[in-house]
Amino acid sequence: MDLALPASGPGSAHSRFHTYVQVAMILAVITGVELLLIFLPFPRPLLIGGLVVLSAVKFLFVIFIFMHLRWDRLFCTAVFFIGLLLGGGTLGALVNLFNVAASVPLTAHP
Amino acid sequence: MTMAEVLANPATIGHEAPTDVRPVRLLPRPRGRTGLVAWLTTVDHKKIGLMYGLFAVCFFLLGGVEALLIRTQLIVPNSHFVGAHFYSELFTMHGTTMIFLAVMPLNAAFFNLLVPLQIGARDVAFPRLNAFSLWVFLAGAVILNVGWFLQAGAPAAGWFGYAPLTSKTFTPDVSADLWTIGLEVLGLSSIVAALNFIVTIINLRAPGMTMMRLPVFSWMALITSFLLVMAMPSIAIALLEVIFDRHFGTNFFEVSGGGQPILWQHLFWVFGHPEVYILILPAFGYVSEILPTFARKPLFGYPVMVFSGALIGFIGFGVWSHHMFTTGMGTVANSAFALATMAIAVPTGVKIFNWVGTLWGGHLRMRTPMLFALGFLWLFMMGGFSGIMHSAAPADSQQHNSYFVVAHFHYVLIGGATFGLLAAVHYWFPKFFGRKIDERWGKVSFWIIFLGFNATFFPMHFLGLDGMPRRTWTYDADMGWSTGNLIATLGAYLLGAGLVVYLAAAVWSAFRGEPAGDDPWDGRTLEWSIPSPPPEYNFAVIPTVRARDAWWHEKHDRARGAPAAAEAGGIHLPDHSWCPLIAAAGLLLGGLSFAHDRLGLSLAGLGVVVLSIYLWALEGPGGTHVHPEAPAAPAPAKT
Amino acid sequence: MSSDTASPAAAHDAPTATGIPNKKLLFWAFLASDCMFFGTLISTHLVYRQYPPPDNPVPTRVFDIELTSFSTFVLLMSSLMMALAVNSIHRGRVRAMRGALLTTALFGLVFLGCQAWEFWHFVYVKNLTITNSIFGSTFFTLTGTHGTHVAVGVVWLLSMLAYSYRRGFDERHAVDVEMMGLYWHFVDIVWIVIFTAVYLLEYVYAGAAPAR
Repeated sequence: MDLALPASGPGSAHSRFHTYVQVAMILAVITGVELLLIFLPFPRPLLIGGLVVLSAVKFLFVIFIFMHLRWDRLFCTAVFFIGLLLGGGTLGALVNLFNVAASVPLTAHP
Repeated sequence: MTMAEVLANPATIGHEAPTDVRPVRLLPRPRGRTGLVAWLTTVDHKKIGLMYGLFAVCFFLLGGVEALLIRTQLIVPNSHFVGAHFYSELFTMHGTTMIFLAVMPLNAAFFNLLVPLQIGARDVAFPRLNAFSLWVFLAGAVILNVGWFLQAGAPAAGWFGYAPLTSKTFTPDVSADLWTIGLEVLGLSSIVAALNFIVTIINLRAPGMTMMRLPVFSWMALITSFLLVMAMPSIAIALLEVIFDRHFGTNFFEVSGGGQPILWQHLFWVFGHPEVYILILPAFGYVSEILPTFARKPLFGYPVMVFSGALIGFIGFGVWSHHMFTTGMGTVANSAFALATMAIAVPTGVKIFNWVGTLWGGHLRMRTPMLFALGFLWLFMMGGFSGIMHSAAPADSQQHNSYFVVAHFHYVLIGGATFGLLAAVHYWFPKFFGRKIDERWGKVSFWIIFLGFNATFFPMHFLGLDGMPRRTWTYDADMGWSTGNLIATLGAYLLGAGLVVYLAAAVWSAFRGEPAGDDPWDGRTLEWSIPSPPPEYNFAVIPTVRARDAWWHEKHDRARGAPAAAEAGGIHLPDHSWCPLIAAAGLLLGGLSFAHDRLGLSLAGLGVVVLSIYLWALEGPGGTHVHPEAPAAPAPAKT
Repeated sequence: MSSDTASPAAAHDAPTATGIPNKKLLFWAFLASDCMFFGTLISTHLVYRQYPPPDNPVPTRVFDIELTSFSTFVLLMSSLMMALAVNSIHRGRVRAMRGALLTTALFGLVFLGCQAWEFWHFVYVKNLTITNSIFGSTFFTLTGTHGTHVAVGVVWLLSMLAYSYRRGFDERHAVDVEMMGLYWHFVDIVWIVIFTAVYLLEYVYAGAAPAR
């Protein structure tokens, strides 16, 4: 099992402690950047794209570092990404389905 | 020694390592292996599988009665055999019962009975969780059907419960609450069971059993389990939104509050389409085991069969709106979903060709399981043809909501899923009951079922193309539908009679059938290598697998390697437990109470669930050890 | 909470075919399922944000983004503490684990407290309820479901903390703490998505930034 960690050296329990703290600081900084971003006068697509990218970075940091996927068997990553991709794909499809002209509700028209 | 003697002997009981945390024993861990308590607290996958099967057969009969009442109402025009509202209850409950309470639990029964045996394991990965799934299934089944005994009546909004018919405005009584909450509870049962089987199939395979040596049925069980855990959350949320609309006044599907009922259709079918693959993939698995055995040839194209099964599962998440071609989604959406639906026909067709390829050049033995499997092949293919006709969105605009759809899905669900199950019951019956089902009556039942089924549903293609809508309570004599309905109803009675004969033969054979040995069909997979019925621990020694069709290889391969060593310390069997049953009882109490807006009782039910989870965690798996005698070497292969 | 504890030749020592512990694989599969669960709920919210009815409340006038940012930060830090707790138990350092678990739970409670205050504020001051608009329905259901997940997580954390005081609790139970950690981190990543999709995007759409 992958629970036993060497006491020192790269990938050891000791260096992971530092990795976790560094990642936490990165997450905090990114959150701060996001908060700044929404008040900046950039074009909307750029802001949305920026927010999505930043959130994705936070997301990936948490799953690969805090949740250990980087050091675990690849199969765990595969299982999770199946769910992530299906969930994300369904979300994308639903949002687009409701966005088409044929699906705009009458109550939304001025 | 008998099992009871083993358990009574302190020398054979395992103990916890003295330095580990001591379990908390507030509830007893029953030791008996017979009697009601043993069955209520069992964690043995074989007992759980048999109980799933028993409950499922009972609900199958209930669903069948509902179907016969529907058909009787339609035998002649302008009939008032049953009232209109009762008719709505009948078609709602027929669909809900057959899908959720008959076919799905029958497949669950086979997953439970077969998967550990086929992969060479002693049980599933989480035995108490397995028992929990069973009892929660029963709780959900009760919630769904309790309406028959209430003034509000059974659920009557269709098996797909479209909004806003399920809103408080249009269904003020408790029947819609029983439907939504019953299905939520059933969803929990399915998700938990599927998680268990994913871990079991991936992690508990015997040494040498690589994924590409796994029997096709176990592969289909794995893919079906993935489909379940991915699809069920969608309907769980959809039902949650209906429940919130009804109980908390939210606006998810309430137009006056800004909601859009069409969202229900989307969320339901995001679940609903993968659901039909959940219903059919296990049948693909049964047939993929039965055809090779009775053709005495390996399955044709194993890797392609596995890959196409996975592909069907995956693409199945991208076709849901083919149930909504007439809802005005726009040209692009209609085209996209039509193309995706047509694409799914490719891996499905490949599988059919591979089954035919399995038969080609084989030495065919026409036993009852083979007849049902061949019937599956033909009838499922016909259902697939009508499905392809639906996939063309313009054609579907006429077919949608007509009897053509009813014909299509009954061809795939009865001709496909049910014929697969009927084949599987005959095939694996000897393994779990130690006796074969009577061959002559089995064949008789096949022919009656085959004729009755086709007589019932083939005319429905024409009724649909002639414009008869689904869920029609009564029709006029001058619609031109009278002859078709008459034939369909007579066919339904014949189908019902055939199923009764089938069941009677099975029940009789369980007591008086010809005793079967370990391997009555000269099978290919590991379940045939152990006694019939299997001992509680399944394998005296966990086998080492050297090839695909592991048991066939063992029987016929001269150069057999050294036999696997028995485990030091004996075989560990987990203890029985009350916790899964109690947790399910809590869910039943909570669900029924919440449906009736009884907050106090609902919280009490929740409290029971939480308490039982704590007791479950603290009691630990427990366990005993047994030391069976070493098995005899396998009998020389029959030719 | 307790792993398999029967005799030395017990089930939990049996090697799994992949080398991944059963509980860990179970939990990753469950999290994949939970992705679909929250994905569908977030879809509902986003679908209804596209063409809201004219009388729908304006989210940016209801939100208190400073408070929500603070609670987001707290939840992120709780994830750090959870990772440290798992790290500690892998090294057999039970006392360090207990401290980290307690801190994680406390941060979780702070998050819940902020959310409770936010809900109260929205209902009683901003007049946004779960029934009086589609935005209210989707917002409260989505964030409430997430909050319920957090609350369950806090209960789990405190239960594990209590359990860790029992004699014999050591690194053999790491897989149970790890499983709990996966749950807690998942709750955090769902919040990362919700914070962006439900809160931040509203400011982008409502802001003075020119649309193209």
